[in-house]
Amino acid sequence: MKDFRIEQESCGNIQLIRLQGSLDMYSFPRLESQLQTLFQQGRYCLMLDCSQLDYIGSAGLGALIGFAKQAREHDGDLKLLRVPERIYKIVELLGFTKVLQVYNTEETAIASFQKP
Amino acid sequence: MDGTTKGISVNITGTEVYVRIVGRGTFQNGQPLRRYAMEMLGRGCDQFFVDLNQCQGMDSTFLGVLAGIGLRLSQGGHAGKIHVVNVSARNVELLQTLGLDRLFDVNFVGRDHTHHMFPTETTFQMLPDSDLVDTSKSLNKRDTANFMLESHNNLVKADPRNAPKFQDLTKFLREKVGDQPASQNPKP
Repeated sequence: MKDFRIEQESCGNIQLIRLQGSLDMYSFPRLESQLQTLFQQGRYCLMLDCSQLDYIGSAGLGALIGFAKQAREHDGDLKLLRVPERIYKIVELLGFTKVLQVYNTEETAIASFQKP
Repeated sequence: MDGTTKGISVNITGTEVYVRIVGRGTFQNGQPLRRYAMEMLGRGCDQFFVDLNQCQGMDSTFLGVLAGIGLRLSQGGHAGKIHVVNVSARNVELLQTLGLDRLFDVNFVGRDHTHHMFPTETTFQMLPDSDLVDTSKSLNKRDTANFMLESHNNLVKADPRNAPKFQDLTKFLREKVGDQPASQNPKP
Protein backbone atom coordinates (compact mmCIF):
# COMPACT_ATOMS: atom_id res chain seq x y z
CA MET A 1 0.00 0.00 0.00
CA LYS A 2 1.45 3.37 -1.08
CA ASP A 3 1.92 6.12 1.50
CA PHE A 4 -0.52 8.97 1.09
CA ARG A 5 1.03 12.12 -0.35
CA ILE A 6 -0.33 15.56 -1.13
CA GLU A 7 1.30 18.09 -3.44
CA GLN A 8 -0.10 21.50 -4.18
CA GLU A 9 0.48 24.05 -6.90
CA SER A 10 -1.27 27.18 -8.09
CA CYS A 11 -2.76 27.66 -11.56
CA GLY A 12 -3.67 31.32 -11.33
CA ASN A 13 -6.36 31.57 -8.67
CA ILE A 14 -7.03 27.84 -8.84
CA GLN A 15 -5.29 25.46 -6.47
CA LEU A 16 -4.32 22.10 -7.93
CA ILE A 17 -3.91 19.44 -5.27
CA ARG A 18 -2.32 16.21 -6.40
CA LEU A 19 -3.20 13.17 -4.32
CA GLN A 20 -1.21 9.97 -4.28
CA GLY A 21 -1.84 6.66 -2.49
CA SER A 22 -4.88 5.81 -0.39
CA LEU A 23 -7.33 8.42 0.79
CA ASP A 24 -8.91 6.64 3.72
CA MET A 25 -10.02 7.54 7.23
CA TYR A 26 -6.42 7.35 8.34
CA SER A 27 -5.07 9.77 5.75
CA PHE A 28 -8.11 12.00 5.19
CA PRO A 29 -7.41 14.35 8.15
CA ARG A 30 -4.26 15.49 6.31
CA LEU A 31 -6.26 16.52 3.26
CA GLU A 32 -8.96 18.01 5.47
CA SER A 33 -6.37 20.15 7.24
CA GLN A 34 -4.92 21.34 3.91
CA LEU A 35 -8.37 22.23 2.55
CA GLN A 36 -9.25 24.12 5.72
CA THR A 37 -6.00 26.09 5.47
CA LEU A 38 -6.79 27.03 1.86
CA PHE A 39 -10.27 28.18 2.86
CA GLN A 40 -8.80 30.28 5.66
CA GLN A 41 -6.57 31.91 3.03
CA GLY A 42 -9.66 32.68 0.95
CA ARG A 43 -8.84 30.14 -1.76
CA TYR A 44 -12.03 28.45 -2.82
CA CYS A 45 -11.26 27.25 -6.36
CA LEU A 46 -9.82 23.79 -5.91
CA MET A 47 -9.05 20.84 -8.16
CA LEU A 48 -8.14 17.46 -6.72
CA ASP A 49 -6.00 15.46 -9.13
CA CYS A 50 -6.87 11.85 -8.37
CA SER A 51 -4.79 10.17 -11.12
CA GLN A 52 -2.33 8.69 -8.62
CA LEU A 53 -4.97 7.74 -6.10
CA ASP A 54 -5.43 4.02 -5.60
CA TYR A 55 -8.27 4.11 -3.09
CA ILE A 56 -10.85 6.50 -1.69
CA GLY A 57 -13.12 5.67 1.23
CA SER A 58 -16.80 6.46 1.56
CA ALA A 59 -16.35 8.89 4.44
CA GLY A 60 -13.67 10.80 2.54
CA LEU A 61 -15.95 11.20 -0.44
CA GLY A 62 -18.77 12.30 1.82
CA ALA A 63 -16.57 14.91 3.45
CA LEU A 64 -15.54 16.26 0.03
CA ILE A 65 -19.19 17.09 -0.60
CA GLY A 66 -19.09 19.34 2.45
CA PHE A 67 -15.94 21.07 1.22
CA ALA A 68 -17.43 21.54 -2.26
CA LYS A 69 -20.52 23.09 -0.69
CA GLN A 70 -18.41 25.49 1.38
CA ALA A 71 -16.38 26.43 -1.69
CA ARG A 72 -19.54 27.17 -3.70
CA GLU A 73 -20.83 29.44 -0.96
CA HIS A 74 -17.76 31.58 -1.69
CA ASP A 75 -18.12 31.47 -5.50
CA GLY A 76 -15.60 28.69 -5.83
CA ASP A 77 -15.83 24.93 -6.17
CA LEU A 78 -14.01 21.70 -5.49
CA LYS A 79 -13.69 19.53 -8.59
CA LEU A 80 -12.20 16.12 -9.18
CA LEU A 81 -9.66 15.63 -11.94
CA ARG A 82 -8.48 12.45 -13.68
CA VAL A 83 -10.31 9.98 -11.48
CA PRO A 84 -9.10 6.41 -12.18
CA GLU A 85 -11.84 4.17 -13.62
CA ARG A 86 -11.89 1.87 -10.61
CA ILE A 87 -12.50 4.80 -8.27
CA TYR A 88 -14.89 6.50 -10.69
CA LYS A 89 -17.13 3.41 -10.57
CA ILE A 90 -17.43 3.87 -6.82
CA VAL A 91 -17.98 7.64 -7.09
CA GLU A 92 -20.69 7.04 -9.70
CA LEU A 93 -22.29 4.15 -7.82
CA LEU A 94 -22.65 6.26 -4.71
CA GLY A 95 -24.14 9.11 -6.72
CA PHE A 96 -21.38 11.60 -5.91
CA THR A 97 -21.09 12.60 -9.57
CA LYS A 98 -24.34 14.53 -9.06
CA VAL A 99 -22.67 16.84 -6.58
CA LEU A 100 -18.97 16.66 -7.45
CA GLN A 101 -17.89 17.60 -10.95
CA VAL A 102 -15.34 15.26 -12.53
CA TYR A 103 -13.00 16.25 -15.38
CA ASN A 104 -10.57 14.25 -17.47
CA THR A 105 -8.13 17.05 -18.26
CA GLU A 106 -6.65 19.94 -16.35
CA GLU A 107 -7.54 22.32 -19.18
CA THR A 108 -11.26 21.52 -19.14
CA ALA A 109 -11.34 21.68 -15.36
CA ILE A 110 -9.63 25.09 -15.33
CA ALA A 111 -11.92 26.35 -18.08
CA SER A 112 -14.97 25.28 -16.07
CA PHE A 113 -13.96 27.67 -13.28
CA GLN A 114 -13.94 30.53 -15.72
CA LYS A 115 -17.52 30.03 -16.90
CA PRO A 116 -19.99 32.57 -15.49
CA MET B 1 -8.15 -21.81 1.42
CA ASP B 2 -5.14 -19.64 0.65
CA GLY B 3 -4.64 -17.31 3.61
CA THR B 4 -3.54 -14.48 1.32
CA THR B 5 -6.68 -14.45 -0.86
CA LYS B 6 -8.28 -11.05 -0.39
CA GLY B 7 -11.75 -11.03 1.01
CA ILE B 8 -13.70 -12.12 4.07
CA SER B 9 -13.69 -15.70 5.24
CA VAL B 10 -15.78 -17.10 8.06
CA ASN B 11 -16.08 -20.05 10.37
CA ILE B 12 -18.63 -20.96 13.03
CA THR B 13 -17.96 -23.10 16.11
CA GLY B 14 -20.95 -23.48 18.40
CA THR B 15 -22.10 -19.94 19.17
CA GLU B 16 -18.73 -18.42 18.24
CA VAL B 17 -18.28 -16.83 14.84
CA TYR B 18 -14.80 -16.30 13.41
CA VAL B 19 -14.23 -13.70 10.72
CA ARG B 20 -10.94 -13.15 8.92
CA ILE B 21 -10.43 -10.04 6.81
CA VAL B 22 -7.67 -10.05 4.22
CA GLY B 23 -7.10 -6.78 2.34
CA ARG B 24 -9.48 -3.89 2.87
CA GLY B 25 -12.83 -3.86 4.60
CA THR B 26 -15.02 -1.59 2.49
CA PHE B 27 -18.63 -0.62 1.82
CA GLN B 28 -18.58 -3.28 -0.89
CA ASN B 29 -17.54 -6.34 1.06
CA GLY B 30 -19.26 -5.01 4.17
CA GLN B 31 -22.61 -6.00 2.63
CA PRO B 32 -21.96 -9.75 2.49
CA LEU B 33 -20.51 -9.57 6.00
CA ARG B 34 -23.63 -7.84 7.29
CA ARG B 35 -25.89 -10.47 5.70
CA TYR B 36 -23.84 -13.28 7.18
CA ALA B 37 -23.65 -11.67 10.63
CA MET B 38 -27.43 -11.08 10.74
CA GLU B 39 -28.00 -14.75 9.92
CA MET B 40 -25.58 -15.85 12.64
CA LEU B 41 -27.13 -13.48 15.19
CA GLY B 42 -30.50 -14.96 14.29
CA ARG B 43 -29.10 -18.40 15.07
CA GLY B 44 -28.07 -17.24 18.53
CA CYS B 45 -24.36 -16.74 17.99
CA ASP B 46 -23.14 -14.30 20.62
CA GLN B 47 -19.37 -14.13 20.31
CA PHE B 48 -17.77 -12.71 17.17
CA PHE B 49 -14.01 -12.87 16.72
CA VAL B 50 -12.66 -10.67 13.93
CA ASP B 51 -9.05 -11.20 12.88
CA LEU B 52 -7.51 -8.04 11.41
CA ASN B 53 -3.99 -9.43 11.09
CA GLN B 54 -4.06 -9.14 7.29
CA CYS B 55 -6.50 -6.25 7.11
CA GLN B 56 -4.94 -3.24 5.36
CA GLY B 57 -7.63 -0.86 6.51
CA MET B 58 -11.37 -0.36 6.86
CA ASP B 59 -13.65 2.36 5.61
CA SER B 60 -16.30 3.92 7.80
CA THR B 61 -19.10 1.88 6.24
CA PHE B 62 -17.33 -1.38 7.05
CA LEU B 63 -16.64 -0.18 10.58
CA GLY B 64 -20.32 0.68 10.82
CA VAL B 65 -21.17 -2.93 10.00
CA LEU B 66 -18.94 -4.11 12.84
CA ALA B 67 -20.49 -1.47 15.10
CA GLY B 68 -23.96 -2.75 14.16
CA ILE B 69 -22.98 -6.28 15.18
CA GLY B 70 -21.50 -4.96 18.43
CA LEU B 71 -24.61 -2.90 19.21
CA ARG B 72 -26.89 -5.85 18.53
CA LEU B 73 -24.80 -8.09 20.76
CA SER B 74 -24.91 -5.58 23.61
CA GLN B 75 -28.70 -5.07 23.46
CA GLY B 76 -30.69 -6.03 26.52
CA GLY B 77 -27.67 -6.59 28.71
CA HIS B 78 -26.58 -9.72 26.85
CA ALA B 79 -23.07 -11.00 27.37
CA GLY B 80 -22.44 -11.10 23.62
CA LYS B 81 -19.36 -9.33 22.40
CA ILE B 82 -17.33 -8.60 19.33
CA HIS B 83 -13.63 -9.28 19.78
CA VAL B 84 -11.20 -7.80 17.28
CA VAL B 85 -7.83 -9.49 17.38
CA ASN B 86 -4.41 -8.88 15.87
CA VAL B 87 -5.18 -5.20 15.45
CA SER B 88 -2.36 -3.08 14.01
CA ALA B 89 -1.52 0.36 15.41
CA ARG B 90 -3.14 1.95 12.35
CA ASN B 91 -6.40 0.04 12.79
CA VAL B 92 -6.38 0.70 16.55
CA GLU B 93 -6.26 4.40 15.75
CA LEU B 94 -9.27 4.03 13.45
CA LEU B 95 -11.24 2.21 16.14
CA GLN B 96 -10.29 4.79 18.76
CA THR B 97 -11.13 7.71 16.49
CA LEU B 98 -14.68 6.38 16.18
CA GLY B 99 -15.00 5.31 19.82
CA LEU B 100 -15.39 1.67 18.84
CA ASP B 101 -12.64 0.57 21.19
CA ARG B 102 -15.24 0.95 23.94
CA LEU B 103 -17.81 -1.21 22.16
CA PHE B 104 -15.40 -3.94 21.07
CA ASP B 105 -12.93 -6.06 22.98
CA VAL B 106 -9.74 -4.94 21.20
CA ASN B 107 -6.66 -7.17 21.22
CA PHE B 108 -3.51 -5.65 19.83
CA VAL B 109 -0.97 -7.41 17.64
CA GLY B 110 1.32 -9.58 19.72
CA ARG B 111 -1.04 -10.17 22.63
CA ASP B 112 -1.41 -13.82 23.59
CA HIS B 113 -4.63 -15.24 22.13
CA THR B 114 -4.10 -18.88 22.98
CA HIS B 115 -7.44 -18.94 24.82
CA HIS B 116 -9.18 -17.79 21.64
CA MET B 117 -7.22 -19.60 18.97
CA PHE B 118 -8.76 -19.30 15.56
CA PRO B 119 -9.86 -22.53 13.87
CA THR B 120 -7.49 -23.89 11.24
CA GLU B 121 -7.31 -22.09 7.92
CA THR B 122 -8.86 -24.94 5.94
CA THR B 123 -12.14 -24.72 7.81
CA PHE B 124 -12.83 -21.14 6.71
CA GLN B 125 -15.25 -20.36 3.90
CA MET B 126 -14.92 -17.26 1.76
CA LEU B 127 -18.05 -15.11 1.81
CA PRO B 128 -19.43 -14.67 -1.72
CA ASP B 129 -18.76 -11.24 -3.29
CA SER B 130 -16.28 -10.31 -0.57
CA ASP B 131 -13.14 -10.38 -2.71
CA LEU B 132 -13.67 -6.90 -4.20
CA VAL B 133 -13.24 -8.10 -7.78
CA ASP B 134 -15.47 -5.64 -9.54
CA THR B 135 -18.25 -6.06 -7.01
CA SER B 136 -19.61 -2.62 -7.89
CA LYS B 137 -21.30 -4.21 -10.90
CA SER B 138 -23.65 -6.20 -8.73
CA LEU B 139 -24.55 -3.41 -6.33
CA ASN B 140 -27.83 -1.56 -6.51
CA LYS B 141 -27.47 2.19 -5.94
CA ARG B 142 -30.39 2.61 -3.57
CA ASP B 143 -29.58 -0.55 -1.61
CA THR B 144 -25.99 0.64 -1.30
CA ALA B 145 -27.08 4.09 -0.11
CA ASN B 146 -29.44 2.51 2.44
CA PHE B 147 -26.72 0.18 3.62
CA MET B 148 -24.20 3.00 3.98
CA LEU B 149 -26.71 5.17 5.82
CA GLU B 150 -27.49 2.36 8.26
CA SER B 151 -23.76 1.78 8.83
CA HIS B 152 -23.05 5.41 9.59
CA ASN B 153 -26.10 5.60 11.85
CA ASN B 154 -24.59 2.66 13.74
CA LEU B 155 -21.38 4.62 14.20
CA VAL B 156 -23.32 7.54 15.62
CA LYS B 157 -25.29 5.23 17.94
CA ALA B 158 -22.02 3.69 19.10
CA ASP B 159 -20.56 7.12 19.83
CA PRO B 160 -22.63 10.30 19.35
CA ARG B 161 -19.40 12.27 18.83
CA ASN B 162 -19.31 10.69 15.36
CA ALA B 163 -22.36 12.66 14.21
CA PRO B 164 -20.52 15.78 13.00
CA LYS B 165 -17.85 13.69 11.27
CA PHE B 166 -20.40 12.09 8.98
CA GLN B 167 -23.05 14.80 8.74
CA ASP B 168 -22.31 15.68 5.09
CA LEU B 169 -22.32 12.04 4.05
CA THR B 170 -25.45 11.06 5.97
CA LYS B 171 -27.35 14.12 4.70
CA PHE B 172 -26.39 13.21 1.14
CA LEU B 173 -27.36 9.56 1.65
CA ARG B 174 -30.71 10.46 3.23
CA GLU B 175 -31.53 12.63 0.22
CA LYS B 176 -30.37 9.90 -2.15
CA VAL B 177 -32.45 7.22 -0.46
CA GLY B 178 -35.46 9.53 -0.67
CA ASP B 179 -34.82 10.36 -4.31
CA GLN B 180 -34.58 6.96 -5.92
CA PRO B 181 -37.16 4.29 -6.62
CA ALA B 182 -36.90 1.11 -4.58
CA SER B 183 -34.94 -1.79 -6.00
CA GLN B 184 -37.09 -4.18 -7.99
CA ASN B 185 -35.04 -7.10 -6.73
CA PRO B 186 -33.87 -6.17 -3.28
CA LYS B 187 -31.22 -8.33 -1.75
CA PRO B 188 -32.30 -10.38 1.25
